[in-house]
Amino acid sequence: MNTYYAVNLLVYAGVDIIACLALNLQFGVSGIVNFSFIVFQAVGAYAAAVLSMPPDTANGGFQHYIGGYELPFPIPWLGGAIAGGLLAIPVGFVVLRKLRSDYQAIALLVLSVIANAVITNADKFLGGAAGIALVPPPLSDRIDPNTESYQYLYVGITAVCVVIALVVANRIVNSPYGRSLRAMRERELAATAIGKNPVQLKMTIFIVGGLIAGLSGGILVGFIQVWAPSVWLYPETIILFAAIIVGGRGNNIGAILGALLVPVGFEEITRFLNNSPSIANLGPPGLIPALQWVAIGLLIIGFLWFRPEGVRPESRRVFEGAPVREDR
Amino acid sequence: MDLFVAAFGFGLVSMSVIAIAAVGFTMQFGITNMINLAYGEVMISSAYVAYYLNRAGFTIWFGMVAGALFGAVFSFLLNRILYAPFLRKGTSHLGMVIVSLAVSLMIANLLLPIVGYFPVSYQEDPGRLIRWGSIALTRDQFIIIGIAVVLMLAIHALLTYTRLGKAMRATAANPTLARNCGIPTQRVIDAVWLITGALCGLAGVVAALDSDSFAIANGATFLITVLAAAVLGGAGQPYGAMIGAVLIGMITELSAAAWSPQYKEVVAFGILVLVMVLRPQGLLAKRGALAAAG
Repeated sequence: MNTYYAVNLLVYAGVDIIACLALNLQFGVSGIVNFSFIVFQAVGAYAAAVLSMPPDTANGGFQHYIGGYELPFPIPWLGGAIAGGLLAIPVGFVVLRKLRSDYQAIALLVLSVIANAVITNADKFLGGAAGIALVPPPLSDRIDPNTESYQYLYVGITAVCVVIALVVANRIVNSPYGRSLRAMRERELAATAIGKNPVQLKMTIFIVGGLIAGLSGGILVGFIQVWAPSVWLYPETIILFAAIIVGGRGNNIGAILGALLVPVGFEEITRFLNNSPSIANLGPPGLIPALQWVAIGLLIIGFLWFRPEGVRPESRRVFEGAPVREDR
Repeated sequence: MDLFVAAFGFGLVSMSVIAIAAVGFTMQFGITNMINLAYGEVMISSAYVAYYLNRAGFTIWFGMVAGALFGAVFSFLLNRILYAPFLRKGTSHLGMVIVSLAVSLMIANLLLPIVGYFPVSYQEDPGRLIRWGSIALTRDQFIIIGIAVVLMLAIHALLTYTRLGKAMRATAANPTLARNCGIPTQRVIDAVWLITGALCGLAGVVAALDSDSFAIANGATFLITVLAAAVLGGAGQPYGAMIGAVLIGMITELSAAAWSPQYKEVVAFGILVLVMVLRPQGLLAKRGALAAAG
């Protein structure tokens, strides 16, 4: 196993963990089925890209995008996070305000498909179908990104972001606010009856999730240095949903476990399969990637049927001073 | 101005295609309470069934019947094998939405290695052009409009005059009460999946015939248009879906003439957003999107 492979794996694992923590806050803890989650990651990536890149007349002007501010390192990532959070406001305003929950899910799914189609067709806005290339890696003006030490540095910065996301997620899950979110998820009407405002609760967690998702996009685009509509098609969200369902809804350890099992573990297995020619050339072209998606679907359905609580179930929270112990 | 009159003609065809699909979708949802996100993929699968029959030398009209049969059997089995057991298990509405999205992903990717990425089209002579002012439609397009009108009348007759249709409406309104009144709701729901599946399959073939070519990726675009029409009319309301189809079909075609055909789905989405902000329950429904999901 060479350094490049290890670094690649670790950065992807970090990005997936951050994304799963964010999605878990929305889907696992609050019950918002955010089928357009990947759009928030994509917005973060695009924002981080255009904030760190030179204007599009550079490099012979072979690509077109708005912005190009060449800002120093932490700003593009923060900008990515803020972009994700900002996008959550109008989306949340339309979707979360008074629609019933299954309508919210389909509206967000449609948004994901449409947003991708719009960015693909608008070729002057963010590079269109070809996307954006040559995104400068963070700190590349000070350290040569092709050195091994830079690779480790990137893993280190990603790890710091993972820790920040985990601390934020933990604080939210264990706070009174997190308790309100779980109450709303379990029975919205009851939560409303004791004075919780479900719209406000959902809007807040939607924006927090958008911020974290945007950050994960910023980290990813700094590492792979390209971003295009083909990497944020709506099935990418389904992989993250599969991760949360497999890992265990509603708890952060479950989300991390799911991120390591599904997006990381799964991708690696199929990469391994694709690298052995006898399997990669099996059947018509594209068979193995297609079967990978089928397996993701089977994983979701299988887990929802046999173990809906996931590998690591959410712990049952019981109030110590309750007059009657509830043993179910 | 002529451009818009011509677009009006295409709008008539579009609304016919959407109406067939949207009525099937909304009846599935209204009676079985199941948002079936695999609907678009069942449509595209049926379109491919007709494509292979067409390539084997059968006419497209035979393909339509075969596509409808395929859609009916496929949807029926989908419900019997997957959705119904999950519902019996007490899976929540949101759980069912996730299951159906997973199914949609699986169908698309099982189909992909078989049919490939490249767009295909039917071998069908669209017939001579029939002109009426600036409106110029082919014989096939007139037949599509005719099929849609006949089907809409048939759905109306089914729901209004037959015992099965009345049982369906009763099941939609209150399944427990319907069962207590002696309506075999299980069999009614089986019938609903067969009928709506047939509409779905037929709509897939008709939509593929109406567009010059189609590819596997069209499953998602079909679904968006159908969702927009169904939600606009008030989800679960067959007559609402018809009105929704008329509006979506006409507006998207007129906008394609005024702006760019690339953005048809975007316009449909814009309408969807407007409806969700201004009248989430849809045009006809009383509760619709506002009611709590069980």
